[in-house]
Amino acid sequence: MGGLQKKKFERGSATNYITRNKARKKLQLSLPDFRRLCILKGIYPHEPKHKKKVNKGSTAARTFYLLKDIRFLLHEPIVGKFRDYKVFVRKLKRAYGKTEWSAVERLKENKPTYKLDHIIKERFPSFIDALRDIDDALCMCFLFSTFARTGKCHVQTIQLCRRLTVEWMNYVIASRSLRKVFISIKGIYYQAEVMGQLITWLVPYQFSHDHPTDVDYRVMATFTEFYTTLLGFVNFRLYHSLNLVYPPKLDSKTESELKDEDDYAMNSESYLEKLSALSASLARVVSTAEEEEAQLDQFPVEGEDIETMEAREKEEKQQEAQKKLFEGLKFFLNREVPRESLAFLIRCFGGEVSWDTSVCIGSTYDVTDETITHHIVDRPNIDKQHINRYYIQPQWLYDCVNAKILLPVEDYFLGVTLPPHLSPFVEEKDGDYVPPEKLKIMALQRGEKPAQEDEEEEEEEEEEEGEDEEEEEEDENEEEEEEADEKNLKIMEEQRSQGKSLKVKVTPGKVKVENAARLEQEEKAEEKRLAIMMMKKKEKYLYDKIMFGKKRKIREANKLAAKRKAHDDAEKSDKKKKAKTRK
Amino acid sequence: MHYNTNEEETCFLSLVPNMASARRLKRVAASQPGFINLKSASDSAGSASSRRKRVNKNKKKNWNKHSDINDIDEFLEDVRHQERTTGGLLSEKSDDSLFFLDIGQPKKAEQKEEEPVEGKKRKGKASRPLRIDLILQHDSLVQPPKDVLAYQQPNAKKLRRIAQKAEQLAAKGVVPRRQKQLLNRRPVDRTVKKAVTEANNNPDREYYDIWGQESKNTADPWYLQQTGKKLVKRPEKLNEKPSVLPAVEVIAPGGSYNPDFFSHQALLQEAHDIEVKKQKEEDKIARQLAVNRADTATEETVFNEQVEGLVEEENEEEEAALDEEEEDGAVGAIVLADKKTEKKRKRERAEKIKEQQRLADRRQNDRRQQLFQLRSIKASIKQQDQKTQAKQIQRKAKQEAQKAQPRRLGKLKFQPQDMEVQLSDELAGSLRRLKPEGSVLKDRFKSLQKRNLIEPRERAKFKRRLKLKYVEKRAFREIT
Repeated sequence: MGGLQKKKFERGSATNYITRNKARKKLQLSLPDFRRLCILKGIYPHEPKHKKKVNKGSTAARTFYLLKDIRFLLHEPIVGKFRDYKVFVRKLKRAYGKTEWSAVERLKENKPTYKLDHIIKERFPSFIDALRDIDDALCMCFLFSTFARTGKCHVQTIQLCRRLTVEWMNYVIASRSLRKVFISIKGIYYQAEVMGQLITWLVPYQFSHDHPTDVDYRVMATFTEFYTTLLGFVNFRLYHSLNLVYPPKLDSKTESELKDEDDYAMNSESYLEKLSALSASLARVVSTAEEEEAQLDQFPVEGEDIETMEAREKEEKQQEAQKKLFEGLKFFLNREVPRESLAFLIRCFGGEVSWDTSVCIGSTYDVTDETITHHIVDRPNIDKQHINRYYIQPQWLYDCVNAKILLPVEDYFLGVTLPPHLSPFVEEKDGDYVPPEKLKIMALQRGEKPAQEDEEEEEEEEEEEGEDEEEEEEDENEEEEEEADEKNLKIMEEQRSQGKSLKVKVTPGKVKVENAARLEQEEKAEEKRLAIMMMKKKEKYLYDKIMFGKKRKIREANKLAAKRKAHDDAEKSDKKKKAKTRK
Repeated sequence: MHYNTNEEETCFLSLVPNMASARRLKRVAASQPGFINLKSASDSAGSASSRRKRVNKNKKKNWNKHSDINDIDEFLEDVRHQERTTGGLLSEKSDDSLFFLDIGQPKKAEQKEEEPVEGKKRKGKASRPLRIDLILQHDSLVQPPKDVLAYQQPNAKKLRRIAQKAEQLAAKGVVPRRQKQLLNRRPVDRTVKKAVTEANNNPDREYYDIWGQESKNTADPWYLQQTGKKLVKRPEKLNEKPSVLPAVEVIAPGGSYNPDFFSHQALLQEAHDIEVKKQKEEDKIARQLAVNRADTATEETVFNEQVEGLVEEENEEEEAALDEEEEDGAVGAIVLADKKTEKKRKRERAEKIKEQQRLADRRQNDRRQQLFQLRSIKASIKQQDQKTQAKQIQRKAKQEAQKAQPRRLGKLKFQPQDMEVQLSDELAGSLRRLKPEGSVLKDRFKSLQKRNLIEPRERAKFKRRLKLKYVEKRAFREIT
């Protein structure tokens, strides 16, 4: 016995946590400043395991931080800057109140500011760390760059965001690293592969903002402040990795090609506008014409057999092909299509693009150019059509990028009902339901000619004419075959039940043709069956379970496919009826 | 000429010392051939009447004191005045400069004639100075006094000497020390100061390779630490993300602007389920808040309440009687415990010991018997182990699942965003007619909350410190 009595909440988890208000007081900061500091330094609130212990017996919901984190914050030089700023505001207010304009001027000149460079270095010790976390930064910058300059946040921030996003897009174009695009109802999702990292970002549609009121703009602005710094440094590094000049400069060759429009923007802004037009390539530090990339020798990585290596090689080849998807094609964007997104896409895959001069700066050729291969239009019909170019809807470009091949243009002509725009971010495992449109694309990717499709189309044409016997015939044929089989079986069964011995006959022997592949297959199946038989009870149980799950999945997929077929048939019949009534 | 007159004056004075001033002035004026006085001499009569005073003037002092020189002073003053204002004595000026011939107004006809040649006239006019300038022209003979101090320089000689020496040295190429110091001083960089005060969101800000160069802090680490300039190392644990969720969650395939039929249906189903759940909760609350039929006052209950206590009921009395009986019983139940005798105590103790003995025996026996139950014990232990293992696995899985969940970080719970869904008839056929759904800003904000980067928070409500008071304006009150 003896010793001092242990007091409650003086050891254990109670001492590891600190409430937000206490932390704020410890740092001598106001709540907004504290919040900003935490965001910049990457210190987030923490939910303790046992709230009651941490909260000194109370169960009230509070925000907790780890005490060690707050201690770490104490050393931050920016804290001092925050305090300086507070004093600065106070002095400025006072000077305004006393109408001492010279003092106001002097104070404004010496406004305390801070830099976030050291925090970037601290939070992302290596470049690849920063690249991994760039998704958020991109989303935020793209979002802020579309804001109207109306005072919801600083105009300067918006300008900086715009500059950084334009730089990023130019980098993606120069490195041809775009992989996937998805037009959703929210915005456009892009995915690029930069230095082996998959980076996804969301770009809102232009002019679509209703400013929601339940969003804390100050918090968002703080995140953006941090992310603009991060993105700037990442951009710098990326540009240098490609030997591009950082603040990006237009290639002198292409710059001269651009038509000069003096009245489009102020001189100070026109350069950024030209850059953001995305139609010109960038200047390189070492101006060399497209270096031929040396073919790298492939060495199998340890623990990797030849098959996987081959698969990888194939994938790489496919990727190379995808990078040159639009090479040699010349596009012209009509004025009603989203210019920036499409220009970005086309340039990312090596195509040439232009638009009407009144739409944006930086157009390179006119509508009347004979060499234009594709004219992107998003209206039901167009009055004046030029010969020898395709007039297609913008979705064709997006679908081509996702399919990694040039899709047949017929489905995307003017006024045609578009095939659905599928999400490239869904990866189906085997057994899942795959929509028929995707199956079609996959077949095209494999290089198969869509023969049945053609048939179907023909059928459809015929149907439109009011004749659809062919299909029905096919169905009948199938049914007939099944019926015949059943008949045979029935006859045999009847004979058996009647006790008649089956007709026995000796027929001349035939040489059995042994199909090697089939034999092998059978052997394999047999082996598998035996292996299943040899399983332990426990393992067998597990195996059965897995197989059951797989079967269920297949069943569900089949169900969905059947449903789809029914839906399509219903639509077809509807169409037919309509056509008939029209007639 | 001017000088001459003065000389004559003095000799004249010496000749006629005692004369009255006025008279002398006259004479002075008279002695000047053709002198014209600017001021009229009217005071001569007054001075003539005063009596002459006799004073001995044989002393220089008296001579100075009593000789009257007013008239000469006045004359000289007048001469100086004339020279100052009119630029010479009037008497010496030609008549043309003093007078002009008045020939009346010039004829109008002449003027009209002059008009057509206006252009030429103008030129002539431009070359001739303006009348106002002529009037203001300086025409006095007396030069304006020189400001002597403006030309003089204190220590001029010394300074001149120093300058000369400096010139000699400069010719030799020797620069004075102060100059050298000035030259040696580093130029103040204005731009450096600008960089310090440059805002963080400056759109033209510079970036550099932050990961390429190593830290340039080569100063003494002890010094840096002591002066608080050394950055504290960031704990490794802080680089862990508070959630495993990805930064950008791509919308389900049904959210495409032109979706596949089934994925769209699936998304709609999901949205529908959420909506149903919400509706159920709302209904539940409504049900709980609904007023119970039995609780509402009917006529009967109201009447009963009003007559409560007025109408005596018989059974009440009975109940009261019963209560009394019960109370009596309760009082009787309290019984004092008897004191135990010594014998009783001993017996109890013995019994207790015996019981303990019996239990101990039993326990030992059981333990001995366990030897024969080894198999079943083993089985039970195994079972227990399995159970704990399963529980552990379950707990681990739960923890993993928790990592993707938003935590409770503050007063409020995380509220997921409403799902963005377009109904079948809202779907746009083409990109041009697409109407965006939801807000990306809100999506980003909720994503931050979902990943536990910020705590969910409500906007601070505006609190009015002073109460509002409504007062009618006087002007308005007068009307009504």
